[in-house]
Amino acid sequence: MKLFLALLIVALPFSAHAAILDIQTVTSQNGIKAWLVEDHTVPVISIQFLFKGAGAINDPQDKQGLAQILSNTLDEGAGDLDSQAFQEKLNNHSISLSFHSSRDDFGGSLKTLSKNKAEAFHLLSLSLTKPRFDKDAVHRMIESNLVRIRNNMTDPEWMNARLTNDVIYKGHPYAINTGGTLSSLPRISADDLRTKFQSQLAQDNLIVSVAGDITKEELAAVLDKIFSSLPKTADLRKIEDVTFTDAASVTLYKQDIPQTVVSMALQGISHTDPEYPAAEIMDFVFGSSGFGSRLTEEIREKRGLTYGIYSGLSEIQHASVLTIGSSTRNESVQELLNLTKEVMSNMTISPITEKELRDAKTYLIGSVPLQLTSTDRISGLMMGLQRDNLPTDYLERRAEKLKTITADDVMRVSKRLLNPQAMKIILVGQPKISDTYDLVKNLPNVE
Amino acid sequence: MKRLLCLFLVMVSATAHAAPDKVYNAETMTLANGMQVVVIPNHRAPVVSHMVWYKVGAADEPQGDGVSGAAHFLEHLMFKGTTAIAPGEFSKFIKSIGGEDNAFTSWDYTAYFQSVAKDQLPRVMALEAERMINLTLPESEIESEREVIIEERRSRTDNDPQSLFSEQLRAVLFTASNYAVPIIGWRDEMPLLKKSHVLDYYKTWYAPNNAILVVSGDVTMEDVRPWAEKFYGIIPSRPVPNHIRPVAPDFPAPVHLTFESTDLRQSVFIRAWRAPSYITNKTEALALDVLMETLSGGASTELYQSLVVKDKKAVDVSLSYQGDSRGEGSIWVYAIPAPHVTLETLQKEIENKLRNLSASGLNPKAFMDAKTRLIDSEIYARDSVMGPAMVVGQSLAMGLTLDDVETRPAQIAAVTIEEANAVLQKYLNPDSPAHLPVTGYMIPQEKKE
Repeated sequence: MKLFLALLIVALPFSAHAAILDIQTVTSQNGIKAWLVEDHTVPVISIQFLFKGAGAINDPQDKQGLAQILSNTLDEGAGDLDSQAFQEKLNNHSISLSFHSSRDDFGGSLKTLSKNKAEAFHLLSLSLTKPRFDKDAVHRMIESNLVRIRNNMTDPEWMNARLTNDVIYKGHPYAINTGGTLSSLPRISADDLRTKFQSQLAQDNLIVSVAGDITKEELAAVLDKIFSSLPKTADLRKIEDVTFTDAASVTLYKQDIPQTVVSMALQGISHTDPEYPAAEIMDFVFGSSGFGSRLTEEIREKRGLTYGIYSGLSEIQHASVLTIGSSTRNESVQELLNLTKEVMSNMTISPITEKELRDAKTYLIGSVPLQLTSTDRISGLMMGLQRDNLPTDYLERRAEKLKTITADDVMRVSKRLLNPQAMKIILVGQPKISDTYDLVKNLPNVE
Repeated sequence: MKRLLCLFLVMVSATAHAAPDKVYNAETMTLANGMQVVVIPNHRAPVVSHMVWYKVGAADEPQGDGVSGAAHFLEHLMFKGTTAIAPGEFSKFIKSIGGEDNAFTSWDYTAYFQSVAKDQLPRVMALEAERMINLTLPESEIESEREVIIEERRSRTDNDPQSLFSEQLRAVLFTASNYAVPIIGWRDEMPLLKKSHVLDYYKTWYAPNNAILVVSGDVTMEDVRPWAEKFYGIIPSRPVPNHIRPVAPDFPAPVHLTFESTDLRQSVFIRAWRAPSYITNKTEALALDVLMETLSGGASTELYQSLVVKDKKAVDVSLSYQGDSRGEGSIWVYAIPAPHVTLETLQKEIENKLRNLSASGLNPKAFMDAKTRLIDSEIYARDSVMGPAMVVGQSLAMGLTLDDVETRPAQIAAVTIEEANAVLQKYLNPDSPAHLPVTGYMIPQEKKE
């Protein structure tokens, strides 16, 4: 089997390619804008849209989950069609229409076969102009969300996420539970939904991404049909940026389970920061890449302490966070925490190796086309770029920037971000630890 | 050459119209050593998904030897070194060429895959072929990786009471069949897994004639064939045993399990029946898939509309069929009672619904709509690179043919309402089902402070 080895040492062809995605910008007669990747290989069209700032962050404190319930009820009947009639039209034309809310934004997604596109555009337009919010449907959706929460209450990862959200964002509107709480959801009425719908979903906070079997001209007309009767401007309150404290903390919620779910959080870095490309490489080498990352090597591969340990950079409108997530048997939690801090410190003491740097660049640049293999992944990727105010040629610019990063650049950003003395640790389980911790009796924003 | 080409195209399209539509237009061949090769061309992006499917899974582990989870443990250890590649280097290498890789184990199959730029395909094939025969299994790697799979079990199952109960329900449903044992292994049996268990399994089952190569993406059979012959074709074939899939016995009494716990917060009703699979009875399996889509294929269909929307007895209800297995399949009902409705009442409502439907038969329009949805879903299935490789690989690994996959829309179209009504009466009629169900109640208990 020796012949295989020879093959592996063949040098990597580094192909310089043209545009990674051929993004066109479309403006309708009434001024609605969209990004489009035209692709007629399969008879499928995917439209994704987002109303910036209309997510959970603009929900009233005593009605946590309002955006979530709005997302569940917008496809529960519109115009003359009640819930059953509306769902039947979608279902029997094989149209997927769904709405979703995040902390920041309210969005939706339509996927249809070309043969049913007229019906699909009509139903989406109807749901965005004449939603019914029938009492029965609103009640049914609230009940189903209460079930979701009660089911989640046995899932330690979900419990940890609740606690982490509270620790990081305490005092900021991000601290609320986007999915609502057992007591807040029943307070939501059809009028609340109508008010949010009428005041926060507008043309001036709308972004649209489209991919698939549709031309630029056709899309321009469709954009007007779907979105042009929305109000011109959204009424949103102003949100302050999150201020991170440098204080380290350990927070524990005790749950009688054999394995502790661990998360760790630090201040992150914005896409617009000049050091972001170096931070992407740092994150890859440190923990985001799974196999090959320093965290996975030390904690899973060498010691078998966990099934998985990952780091990740995430950014929302008013905060950037670096998180590390893992889980380990209760007896090993202290060892896992100590090792993580040690790996972190090493990143700040000596530069990463040339091989680590090269492999990270090849992956971060080379793996992008793997994300572009289906219609809705393409529209989704464009949505992310637009949401973060990035240009249409961002993927190419990012590749160019990544190529220039040095190991010293990575160490500089490691020193800036990877500070064990500022880390917030959140645990759910029965860990044996020597660190002192704050014990939380009730999970925040659940009941 | 232009004229000739034109003529050729006309002929091709004429044939295509005459023959039933194929879903993926995949090409297939078999290497001299018996390894099947399937290529699914998709030229949308310059990438490929490369998968090797072994026609063997957790249900093929030796039964009654006091350990379980060897198939899945081997899947992990396949990343722990071969003659050519040091432990842990496989995935690192794939990342270093900008690719993704992973693997998964089921009861009936085990698969390894990489997604890479298309010019990297031959190198990936070389590596995957090498670990089909040259696995080294160093003892130290086995020790630490055993801890990893035990942590994996804690994450997936032991940490969540709902998962523990699902595991129990399945074990009872498939009592005395190989499908009763969880893929990852029983908690107390996993620590006993030794190198010999894994090695025996590898030596018994991992052979080219028991494997399928599936490549999906920006390539053709013309590209793939020479590499397949070069890397996989040189591995000698070897006889592999038959797959043993005992049918679970039928008992005289229905089984009812009640799980009350302070860790639970939500009441849940679950019921499961054994049923045929696409391998044991293809006609019934197709009818069952259409039946499920008719009754429970979205919020506009019968079960949800009657029990949730109209009668308000449930907050959620769904019926699903698992027919993708070499041995028996299963049918599952999952329902959440509305507030103030007991699980007993909900159970009676569901039984009444199924009893009435068995007597009246399906609504013909709802049945036709369901078939349209299932056929449409085959168009969506093409809208991906990895997706088609998954569907084709899984089907072939279970024992279906490529033709079974390619002509699925025509097979669905051919299902009659009589066939769907017959499987409804046979398997789901509460008064005389072919196999008695297993019923599970999850009931939250108040915490005593």
